[in-house]
Amino acid sequence: MHIPDGYLDLPIAGIFYVLSLAVLGYSIYKLKDEKLTPLFGIVAAAIFAAQMLNWPIPGGTSAHFVGGALAGILLGPYAGSLAMAVVLTIQCLVFADGGITALGANVWNMAIVNVFIGYYAYRALEKFGKSVASFVAGWIGITIAAIFAGIEIGLSTSFGYGLSVTVPVMGLWHGMLGIVEGTITAGVVSYIASSRPDVLEEKVTPGKAAIAVIAAMIVVSPLFAYAAELVGYSEPLENAAEMLGLTENPIYEGLLPDYTVPGIDPYAGTLIAGVVGTVIVLALGYLMARYARTT
Amino acid sequence: MHELLERTIKEASDYFQNFLIHEYSKKSVLHKIDGRIKLVSTVVFVILAVSTFNLNKVIMVLLFLFVISAITGLSLKKIFERIWLFTLFSYIVVLPLSIYNPLYGITFTLRVAASLIAIQILIMTTSFAEICSALRSFKIPKTFVSALWIAYRYAILMFRELFAILLARESRRVAKGSHMDVWRKGGEAVGLFFLRSFERAERVQLAIEARGGNVVEYRGKIKKLDLIYSTIVIFTAFWWVII
Repeated sequence: MHIPDGYLDLPIAGIFYVLSLAVLGYSIYKLKDEKLTPLFGIVAAAIFAAQMLNWPIPGGTSAHFVGGALAGILLGPYAGSLAMAVVLTIQCLVFADGGITALGANVWNMAIVNVFIGYYAYRALEKFGKSVASFVAGWIGITIAAIFAGIEIGLSTSFGYGLSVTVPVMGLWHGMLGIVEGTITAGVVSYIASSRPDVLEEKVTPGKAAIAVIAAMIVVSPLFAYAAELVGYSEPLENAAEMLGLTENPIYEGLLPDYTVPGIDPYAGTLIAGVVGTVIVLALGYLMARYARTT
Repeated sequence: MHELLERTIKEASDYFQNFLIHEYSKKSVLHKIDGRIKLVSTVVFVILAVSTFNLNKVIMVLLFLFVISAITGLSLKKIFERIWLFTLFSYIVVLPLSIYNPLYGITFTLRVAASLIAIQILIMTTSFAEICSALRSFKIPKTFVSALWIAYRYAILMFRELFAILLARESRRVAKGSHMDVWRKGGEAVGLFFLRSFERAERVQLAIEARGGNVVEYRGKIKKLDLIYSTIVIFTAFWWVII
């Protein structure tokens, strides 16, 4: 499910970087008072090792385990998403498994959607038994994560197939592989429940407001990506003006008119304008934060 | 369970080849360049490759990457060995579209190939400790970078622990198990493995506290060689813009 570089449009990759960083940043903030660094590291290494297991399936083929829902169930959604993000970052920077520009999207799918949905599915269904709850958590976590990956690549114009192909392919295929994921998750959780039930006690979880924001981000994130493609990266107002035959008559062009750098390739100009804008906003934010600290 | 073990050994040996190549690859000039510069350069190369469908620009990025690898002493054969499979896979994925638009298929595949080469150049010439230091320099939170470093260092050890658990269970098995048995016993083994990983995390936490922390931090000065490499990357970007 690791999306490589070249499959996603940069604006879509950027959106998922921002969303992922927001959730991971909040997770680190929530866990800042707990000495959990070795736990993230060791459990991340354990997930990494467990992903290497090659589970035989009748018929001669085999399947792998991803471990997102399990990470959520064992560590809670905050620490679980951080542990999975550690695994994905190592896979990207050491094994070239998943792209650098696509890391934000991969983290979003496998470390946030998979972990949060897996964790809450488990908690919601726990009353029906830990095995059933963990099976559904493993299955639904990986399936929805794959659907998100399908949405991201399907909305990217770089990838020649549309949503009508990518979402069913990713969703159906991972829906079947999800049975393996669910079975392994159920096996592991059942064993832990019988030998160390304390490990499965409720973990540090988001408050109602935080979970509402994260859930809304998960639900709305494909719309951001869709909207970016739908409007062709231009202002809807500009499209409307073009349809009505109106022309611009600017009083002042600005230093980077229309997010471009005069005299160079428009696409590169937009990239440069984006970097300049980001630096200005960060600098202003930094100055305001400093000012706030001194007053 | 022997099937699970055999398949896993094969999978792991292929996977850990990357660790070995990564740690013991032939030294090149690129090894001497600061990790921060190499990390940023990799991101720049990947963005240049994936932000266009202009075939000339994609080929230009590929050529620069090949020339940089060849001049600095990296093995092009090794790079090819590590990228061909996924490049071919990408071409097969877009093959149905390439029948009607061959240019799209070629450009898409070369974009993927260029990105993979850029990442491989980073991987083959930069230790993970350097990458972690570079991430800290870019203000990535200490908690996350330390966890990355611990996970990297413990990955092989944790795999050995998992493997030892599986092997011990297999050695105690007397009857041929069904697929269901493999899954049930495998699930139990992985459950035990995760419990052990929790216990290990506690021991590592105590060890870190006893030693007073072990965060990877390194602030080397930018050298002349780093500036030369940065200039090459900037020149590539400049050339990419004007062609």
